Amino acid sequence: MSIEPPQLLLSIQAQALIKSLSELQSEKFSGSVAEKKTQIFGKKGLFTQVSQLISEVNPTEKRLFGQWLNQIKTALELKLVTLSRQSTTQTSQDEEWIDWTMPGILPKTGHLHPVTHAIESITRIFEKIGFTRSRYPEVDWDWYAFEGLNMPANHPARDEWETFFVQTPPSSTKGKVVLTPHTSNGQVREMERLKSQPPIRMINIARCYRRQQDATHTQMFHQFEGLVVDKGINIQHLKGTLDYFAENFYGPGTKSRIRPFHFQFTEPSFEVDFSCHVCGGTGLIKDLEDPTGKRKCRFCKSGWHEVGGAGMVHPNVLKAGGIDPEKYTGFAFGWGVERTYTLKPGLQIDDIRLFYSGESSFLTQF
Amino acid sequence: MNILIPHTWLLEHLETNASPLEIQKLVSLCGPSIERIYDRDGESVYDIEVTTNRVDSMSVRGIAREVAVILNQFGIEAKLKPLKLPSLESLQPASKSANLPLPKITIETPNCHRVLGLVLSHIVRHPTPKYMADRLLQTDQNIHDAAIDITNYVTHELGHPCHAFDYDRIMELGGEIIIKEAAPGKKFTTLDGAEFTTVGGEIVFENISGQIIDLPSIKGALNTSVNAKTKNILFWIESLDPKKVRVASMTHAIRTVAAQLCEKQVDPHLADSVIAKGVQLFQELCDAKIASPVYDAFQTPRHPKAIKTPLKTISNYLGLTLPTSEIMAILTKLECEVGESSDHLSLSVTPPTFRHDLEIPADVVEEVARIYGYQNLPSQLMATAIPTLKPTDVNFDLEFKIKHNLADKGWQELYTYSLVSENLATESGHPASEHLKIANPLTDDKVYLRRSLLPSLLATAKEMLASTTGTRTIKVFELANKYVPSQKPTELPDEKLRLSFVSNQTYREVMGEITSLLNCLYRPDLNIQPDAANPDKALIKLTGEISKTQTLTKHKLGFIKKLATGWWGVTLAMNELVAAARSHPAYEPAAKNTGIIEDLTFTLPAQTPIGNVITTINQTVGWIKKVELKSQYQANFTFSLEYRSETENLTSEQLIPVRKKIVANLENKFQAKLVGKI
Repeated sequence: MSIEPPQLLLSIQAQALIKSLSELQSEKFSGSVAEKKTQIFGKKGLFTQVSQLISEVNPTEKRLFGQWLNQIKTALELKLVTLSRQSTTQTSQDEEWIDWTMPGILPKTGHLHPVTHAIESITRIFEKIGFTRSRYPEVDWDWYAFEGLNMPANHPARDEWETFFVQTPPSSTKGKVVLTPHTSNGQVREMERLKSQPPIRMINIARCYRRQQDATHTQMFHQFEGLVVDKGINIQHLKGTLDYFAENFYGPGTKSRIRPFHFQFTEPSFEVDFSCHVCGGTGLIKDLEDPTGKRKCRFCKSGWHEVGGAGMVHPNVLKAGGIDPEKYTGFAFGWGVERTYTLKPGLQIDDIRLFYSGESSFLTQF
Repeated sequence: MNILIPHTWLLEHLETNASPLEIQKLVSLCGPSIERIYDRDGESVYDIEVTTNRVDSMSVRGIAREVAVILNQFGIEAKLKPLKLPSLESLQPASKSANLPLPKITIETPNCHRVLGLVLSHIVRHPTPKYMADRLLQTDQNIHDAAIDITNYVTHELGHPCHAFDYDRIMELGGEIIIKEAAPGKKFTTLDGAEFTTVGGEIVFENISGQIIDLPSIKGALNTSVNAKTKNILFWIESLDPKKVRVASMTHAIRTVAAQLCEKQVDPHLADSVIAKGVQLFQELCDAKIASPVYDAFQTPRHPKAIKTPLKTISNYLGLTLPTSEIMAILTKLECEVGESSDHLSLSVTPPTFRHDLEIPADVVEEVARIYGYQNLPSQLMATAIPTLKPTDVNFDLEFKIKHNLADKGWQELYTYSLVSENLATESGHPASEHLKIANPLTDDKVYLRRSLLPSLLATAKEMLASTTGTRTIKVFELANKYVPSQKPTELPDEKLRLSFVSNQTYREVMGEITSLLNCLYRPDLNIQPDAANPDKALIKLTGEISKTQTLTKHKLGFIKKLATGWWGVTLAMNELVAAARSHPAYEPAAKNTGIIEDLTFTLPAQTPIGNVITTINQTVGWIKKVELKSQYQANFTFSLEYRSETENLTSEQLIPVRKKIVANLENKFQAKLVGKI
């Protein structure tokens, strides 16, 4: 690197400074870095002296001189730092042995909660195919959680969702206030947000609540709800979306499957399965001790894992959202975040209560 | 709801060579889910999940119907065996002398759709035959003796609940059955001895004196139940309004098979075969004789409506067109009556009486699609338009950015429960009465919707500190809602998203973390304002400064609070962060002139706010670009100052008056004393 000082300043000090830089930059420098630093930048150092010359420079040249000073200062400092680092390693090299097996010193990092990992992954997968993520209330009117979803009061179907009720006056039009037991309360709300005008591609992720607590249920959990409404949406599109999610969330080769089921707010309704990653969906794995060479896969049910429900949006639900079911159709699916996440290879967490336990031994693994 | 069906019992209604495993695999794809096959005494027993809309499948015959159709679809031979049962009319007493009078039956409610009954005499209490006992055990039902078990057996086989009364007790109690809706406050005892009091509206059977003699479709009463002395039986079926049955069953928490079938609208037309088969079994197994004709009051027989289903609707849902003949064949096999419109554009589909769930074209679509096979439909993503109108008040990407940033810097993210105990609720500073309360909590530690995340975080943080050895620093955070009761009854409560932190680091370290977080959002303009009302709390604000001479309105983000000895809590409002966050810095080009960095050390009196000292130094002259607290030793504070001029390279001499001014300002304002000389 060569720097040309302003023509008018070919003073001895400036020349000396330039020489110092060349010296440092040459391969031959082997002196003490600390000494060199004092020599250049100390109170009576070369650089200090040169920078004081600025008062002798005429006003038109001052700017240029200042710029040159900055440049050479930066170059010198950089070189000194580099040399300083090298000399440290030089010392250990002199010892002639590097212990490659020494454990590293890890920087202190924290952890995101597994539910956040799951939600982020799910969000990104669906956003890539044009879904809008939304977040709808956890404390909602009965209308959005049940009635608008084709489940009138006292309907037996409501039994399946053991609902928490909030002690607060009900609305004459929208019913009681509940803690929503599913993210399906977002369906009609999304239709309203978009003023009943498809296209709709929603992914609603939120906390849900059910009056149940055991190894596979916590009173509070998370669900994610997908809703697609437009002209010409059919069962094939639901299958396509499920297959797309399966491949991206669980890995290439994962397949989805839909079987008949029943929800009040979808018709037809489906149960959704994903193929087991251990047996590849066959239900059998290699067993050399068995004469048939195979034994039953213990991770799944005959090659598949149930993940949750889905269906074509019931015409009454579209109507509740102000959408004409003669013109538009749609599909929806709603699954537990924790359940979907723990179907991933290596995440067989058998007690869902761990997610909300605050236990370090659990949380710090993620 | 689940039902257990032994394979051999199934084969009494179904002719097929398919194996249980085959049946399980194929039926689960197109119909009810056969979850498991149990081996009970060497026999295969299916454990089948039947959905709530398909009560017609809650019997051996109901399942057999489904299996026959589905196996056929896969090309496997299967045939539903016809029921060979006598007609109700043919069930007559052998001779006039064998007659016993039916009780007088009065129906005083429109909510009773059908009543069937006949008297069977000379009942001998033989033990239950082996095949019946085996099957009842295989299906998890108790065994008593033939007279009682027949009703359970026939219900399980053919799908409609039935009941056996002790005929003589009914006659002793007045010989009348009045079917009505109960007045409130009436006592009754069910056949297991449990006592109840009516709430009013339940459909009950009463005698002439107003005593309750049955809770129909739910449970029998003790005063008319079959017992050791029973010689004659009134064999009986009623079909009631499903809503009435459900309310009564739920209110009194009597959840029997009968109640569950009836509340789901089991088909009253199935009662014919249940009576016929039941009578056969009583005759066979209990030596019973028919002592009366069949009483049948069918108030509201079902007349299923034809569903006009455009063929286009079917192909719209499937995304492909099936031949009309194939569609019609499927529906016919499911016992629907199907007609094609003259323009060949739609079908008229009349479901059988046991398929009340088929009402709209979408229901017809489901039948066609599932039998055709969902597995046969192609799979493709939709090519429709992508919505562009996003929700305006959220920024999920920012939430992830913040979370990642915190985790990378050592914070542990927590998810704690939104519902808390009364103690945790009040730790928020609001009394319990100012919280939303759950009317039906499951446990007493989850009753109130919290108004602050900090108490839950602190509790967890303390547990973590206690339970992890070696770790001394705890830094936890959570992004979740706090719930504020609404002031207006027509509005839902306010769910406010909060980012809360709890840490046992020092104050400076915690403030460093918050400053660092705000820096990553390109907001270096943090300002702390002690809370005048609360000595343990300070407000976190942004000044919105762009330069030292221009200030925007102070913008409140949240607060920092001393929670307990050694513990700090911070809460930031997420909506404020979303509004304040920037995606890029306010860029400053590199300085053209050299600056000077120097340290100044001052001795400060106790309780001097250092932030104010720094501000004062900063405001001394425009040349001061940066002031940082470099170190502290007892009462001596060393500040590192960076001076730079826009127009020239500063010299040490030029700074002398500046230093003097700084020293003077600090001495005046804070009684600070410079250490050393200028």
